[in-house]
Amino acid sequence: MPVKSSFHDQENIFSFWPRHNETILKRLESKDAWLSTRRGTEVSRVKDALEHEMTLNIGPQHPATHGVLRCMVKLDGELIEKCVLDIGYLHRGVEKLAESKTYQEFMPYTDRMDYLAPYANNVAWCMAVEKLANVEIPERAQWIRMIMCELARISSHLLWLGVGLMDAGAVSVFLWTFQGREDLYSIFDEVSGARFTVSHSRIGGLATDLSSKAIDMIRDFAIRYEEVIKGWQKLLNRNRIWIDRNKDVGTVSADEAIALGLTGSNLRGSGVPYDIRTFEPYLKYDEVDFIIPLREEGDCLARYHIRVEEMLESIKIIHQCLDRLPEGPIRADDAKKTYPSKNEVYYSMEGMIHDFMYTETGIAPPEGAAAYHAIESPKGELGFYLESDGTGCPWRARINAPSFTNLQGLESMMEGHPVADIVVLIGSIDPVMGEADK
Amino acid sequence: MADSLNFHFTPVDKARPDEENLHAKASTDVTDVIQAIQEQFPEAITEVVVYAGERTIFIAGEVFLEVCTALKEELGFTYLVDLAGVDRFQEEAPRYEVYYCFVNLQKGKRLRIKVRVEEDDAVLPSITGLFKAADWNERECFDMLGIRFEGHPDLRRMFMPEDFEYHPQRKEFPLLGIPGSLPLPPRTPEGELTMDPFAAAHSGSPAKSYQEPAENDEN
Amino acid sequence: MDSATGYLTTTVDAVVNWARSNSLMPMPMGLACCAIEMMAFGGPKYDVGRFGSEAMRFSPRQADLMIVAGWCSYKMAHAIRRVWDQMADPKWCIAMGACASSGGMHRCYGVVQGIDNFMPVDVYIPGCPPRPEAVIHALMDIQEKVRNEYSIAKDYASGPKKSAVEPMNLEILTSDGRTTVGGV
Repeated sequence: MPVKSSFHDQENIFSFWPRHNETILKRLESKDAWLSTRRGTEVSRVKDALEHEMTLNIGPQHPATHGVLRCMVKLDGELIEKCVLDIGYLHRGVEKLAESKTYQEFMPYTDRMDYLAPYANNVAWCMAVEKLANVEIPERAQWIRMIMCELARISSHLLWLGVGLMDAGAVSVFLWTFQGREDLYSIFDEVSGARFTVSHSRIGGLATDLSSKAIDMIRDFAIRYEEVIKGWQKLLNRNRIWIDRNKDVGTVSADEAIALGLTGSNLRGSGVPYDIRTFEPYLKYDEVDFIIPLREEGDCLARYHIRVEEMLESIKIIHQCLDRLPEGPIRADDAKKTYPSKNEVYYSMEGMIHDFMYTETGIAPPEGAAAYHAIESPKGELGFYLESDGTGCPWRARINAPSFTNLQGLESMMEGHPVADIVVLIGSIDPVMGEADK
Repeated sequence: MADSLNFHFTPVDKARPDEENLHAKASTDVTDVIQAIQEQFPEAITEVVVYAGERTIFIAGEVFLEVCTALKEELGFTYLVDLAGVDRFQEEAPRYEVYYCFVNLQKGKRLRIKVRVEEDDAVLPSITGLFKAADWNERECFDMLGIRFEGHPDLRRMFMPEDFEYHPQRKEFPLLGIPGSLPLPPRTPEGELTMDPFAAAHSGSPAKSYQEPAENDEN
Repeated sequence: MDSATGYLTTTVDAVVNWARSNSLMPMPMGLACCAIEMMAFGGPKYDVGRFGSEAMRFSPRQADLMIVAGWCSYKMAHAIRRVWDQMADPKWCIAMGACASSGGMHRCYGVVQGIDNFMPVDVYIPGCPPRPEAVIHALMDIQEKVRNEYSIAKDYASGPKKSAVEPMNLEILTSDGRTTVGGV
């Protein structure tokens, strides 16, 4: 039955999807503010003539929501009394899609989940499949993966810094950090042929080896950007406006952070030393020397400090990886589990058949196998839980997306803050909606 | 001889629990936790499946909430990492299972628990009272598989719009969706919502942002 | 000729189209990964300011070019249509990337298989995601389109009138050697 569009209905301006909006508004009315039960303090009420309650809808299309996040906030004066987030504006069902794709076929979809750091997603997926099917990864591939994961971390944090500052009012920093991303794009372009949706990792190794030019570019980047990032620290660490916008905004204590399930920098900003790189070391992270930045304040400023320090640590890791990069194969030599090399495909019949079979059927983990593998993506713990039914497609692929878990803490973080802090808070949580919406 | 012509290009292997996995982590070795649960709730654990050094512990639905309380308060698993539903879609009776992933931050342990849910009566007790982090995950599980969580403060759909009638993660739901289940916006400001997912293909000429002037106008 | 008294003859269409085409204000409907390439398109390296479109307007009332970048779910489609309806005429739309054009790799229940199912599109850009050069190319195509449109002196519905009485008919001045401006 067709429903009459309410475009001209000025009284109810959010009603472009009537039933959906009504439920959110109803929820906003019935919700208890977590803050009052959490800290025993009521949200302070403005007692003046101008006081009136107001419902404000931010998003889904708003430049400061970093994608398509929708916040319905109930305001008391200028303070946020309650907040309800509505996500799913980018939902396409990748978990469902994975069930009809072979393991290798699914990898481009992981690029498009956290599109600020696609390489980390590729590696997370590959390592989950490798754990499920028990595939060996050659040494060199592991080191290269580490380098690229750390570059992905830097590229994600660069965008977070630029856009976060743009939200706070400093537009020029965006141009500087984006220049850094462009440098990274040219590295990814040299390595894989794509600017950021790389799909370069393969199950059991990598698609191609790093060229000597790529290694030079990475080393050059690591040397140059150490200074550049320190320059940004000089600009921001003691910047009065930046500190005033961030200090004591969205404070989360360690217990609250664990209860809310925050991950990544948001959890470490509250003083919980949970980083998968040390908690469950994967690749060669147990062999390199780096520290995990940790702060205890739990506010936006602490998260800023942690992310910037993480970038410097990443550069440290990249230097160590480049120094220790061993020679050797980049993909496991097992035609049932990985793609054969292009030389084999072009010049031998068996290689050709294996290549065809791998594309057609792919790797087939044993029936009844189930495995969870997580890596520390720039946003936090990115885990894949896979169940196999013995065929080439996963029976169930569950994505534990860090942005999703971080966003759910945002609802209660916002309570009690002025409206203007919403953009800073969203920026400091650093969500990527493509990942949160699955 | 149809049977002999039945080629299996991919021989299906069975998972072997004793096989050594190259990527197994020390953190997933939770034998002591299993023992502790067994001592406290002798009937709770129905099955333990081992693969890749990871133990999947199947817990009976009746004592599930008590086990979670014990895990949080006595065994130190305070951090809920993940929660999701799985559609088994098999002949065996309990159709769905919900998996929980807990982490003990002090001891560095990761634990996976599974609870099976009947198809007819897909209800589980909500653990939002214990782990606030389960809030959105349970909503997602409800949205995707239709498993209801009793005691959840706000069991709405997570991703899909409220007027959607299906649960897309179920195996019988087609990947391309059910035509007409989701409305598209009207094609003109005053128009009506359309339920046709291929409106562009079905309605003749494509809509244009402006009207092109006619070439040979008689006026 | 004295420069102070010099004059230039042209058509109103040409002047208006020249102005419009070189100051297109994009409304970046950044949905997914294409939005990152759209940032690069507006960023320092590709610098769309060269084409007069660096002023990204996040308010639909101020914009005349919508760039839909990324896959569009059914839930988001309503918001996009809403924003599109709020934009003032004349307006143009670019469907950036495979997903916005046709659903692309996301052939699944949540994604509208091409935004042209509910709104008009002027230029489609292939690629997943398209490089910023491709977006600049699309912008130039839009500019080309704008330059060849009738702007004011003509009635949209009935097309160019052949009768002599037309409002603001400046072509009388320029029967020969008409100055062309902005690629008309």
